[in-house]
Amino acid sequence: MRDVYVIGVGMTNYYKKSPLSAADLGRQAVFNAVRDAGIGPKQVQSIYVGEMPGLSGSICFGQRVATTMGMGGVPMMNVESACSSGALAVNLAVKDVANGVTDISMAVGVQNISATRASGTAFSPDANDPEGVQGITMPGIYAMRAKRYMEEFGATPEDIALVAVKNRRHAMNNPRSQFHDPITVEQVVNARSISDPLTLLMSCPNTDAGAAVIVATKEKAMQLGSKPVRFLAREVTSGIFSNGFRDMTSMEITVRGAKEAYEIAGVGPEDIDMVECHDAFAINEHLYTEAMGFCGHGEGVEFIRSGGNDYGGKVVFSPRGGLLSCGHPTGCSGAAQIVEATWQLRNEAGAMQVPDCKVAMTHVTGGGIYGLDNAVCTIHILSR
Amino acid sequence: MTEKTAKADEQEQVIFHPDFFKIPEDGSKPYLVGLKCRNCGQLWFPKLPICPACWSETLDESPMERVGKLYTYTIMNVPQPGVKAPLAIGYVDFPNGIRVGAQIDVLPDQMKNLRIGMDLQVGAGVIREDKNGKKTISYVFRPLAASKGGK
Ligand SMILES: [Zn+2]
Repeated sequence: MRDVYVIGVGMTNYYKKSPLSAADLGRQAVFNAVRDAGIGPKQVQSIYVGEMPGLSGSICFGQRVATTMGMGGVPMMNVESACSSGALAVNLAVKDVANGVTDISMAVGVQNISATRASGTAFSPDANDPEGVQGITMPGIYAMRAKRYMEEFGATPEDIALVAVKNRRHAMNNPRSQFHDPITVEQVVNARSISDPLTLLMSCPNTDAGAAVIVATKEKAMQLGSKPVRFLAREVTSGIFSNGFRDMTSMEITVRGAKEAYEIAGVGPEDIDMVECHDAFAINEHLYTEAMGFCGHGEGVEFIRSGGNDYGGKVVFSPRGGLLSCGHPTGCSGAAQIVEATWQLRNEAGAMQVPDCKVAMTHVTGGGIYGLDNAVCTIHILSR
Repeated sequence: MTEKTAKADEQEQVIFHPDFFKIPEDGSKPYLVGLKCRNCGQLWFPKLPICPACWSETLDESPMERVGKLYTYTIMNVPQPGVKAPLAIGYVDFPNGIRVGAQIDVLPDQMKNLRIGMDLQVGAGVIREDKNGKKTISYVFRPLAASKGGK
């Protein structure tokens, strides 16, 4: 397989309510990425577009984005796996280049949630799902993980709040983030309860955004003079069905996915400088610092209390502000994480810059389906 | 098609789902039905057409015990449409090794008494109601002391 490099990235702001339609969010991201790559639009040989079409109701959404930019006539595929959709699009674009199918491919992640969903509603499993019919929501599932985690490992609501406070502090340096005002542990703990013990400020907001990533061979990257950012691993895996007594404090699909990604990349947690993880809820950084091997099971409490997941610690989690403060444009988030990681590896992240950032990992899961830890887990490891 | 729709409108309640939740007609207490694979012995819930472990198509109904232990729970204040808040929901671990997620039927002022590890029993309850007033009846969990006699 051939090495694959990022040659161009582009994204929109993370909007609470986008002034642009979903297709225009996609077009703006694509325009920025093509310009960033310094190529012409017709040089892109395959295009993958991630979106949650159940929300927009659109079919062939990618064609609506790209054909009006003169990019039609190439293989174009619309991919969906809930919050992983955008990351899955990147995975497929990288696969084309790695396998010699194309020399330049593009992935796009887009979501306009505000135009398609009422605010104040929670994402939920399918209505025909045995747990979905019972009224379970995604915040509810993560609240139950948090409850069990607190019981087993002595974490407090204040511990969970630390992550929301940290990610907001990071977001203050991100000009595209939805939120920039600092918050305190006290404010987070006392915010409105969404699903006990998770409060509003421990939950990611609905957000609209678009992100695009253009990838190419080493030869193309060198010709274009791109700052080298290479994929060390692209990992995607699915949930394993079980009715048994699963440990809900150990994120099975992420433990498995991260292990596989490290093996493919030939690196370990000690080599990773920054992570953009699926911090849809503040408890997730406790769960994922452990699942990714930055600390042992149950040690996330102490790891986070001591700032192990922050600048100056072992690894910087969510330097852009994460889903908690940027917001979570579901189908876009996986691609947005890779855009932001690319800026870090190019040393172009401004005030967010992780010092001497050599290796970055992005991680996004997705889908509440009964019997599964998560439906999907998508991980990318990139190095400069 | 029209016939079918008309029929659905007449029904004021549906049971989710008769294949895996039994309310005995003799008045005895409702219970959940697991499925045991005749080939590999693996237990599943709820009903599946084939065994995910060995692909056997022969699975025998295996009534589950009515009491299990609460593994974790939450009180949802922002529920799905058609469901009233606050709503307690939790996962209960049964003696046969199966974990089931469902609503916990307790009054809001009793929710503070829920504890991880407590015993809960299976009962029948209304789990949601649509815009037209059509009720969905399914299994819910209840504390042993607050049992409402099995209905
Ligand atoms: Zn079997």
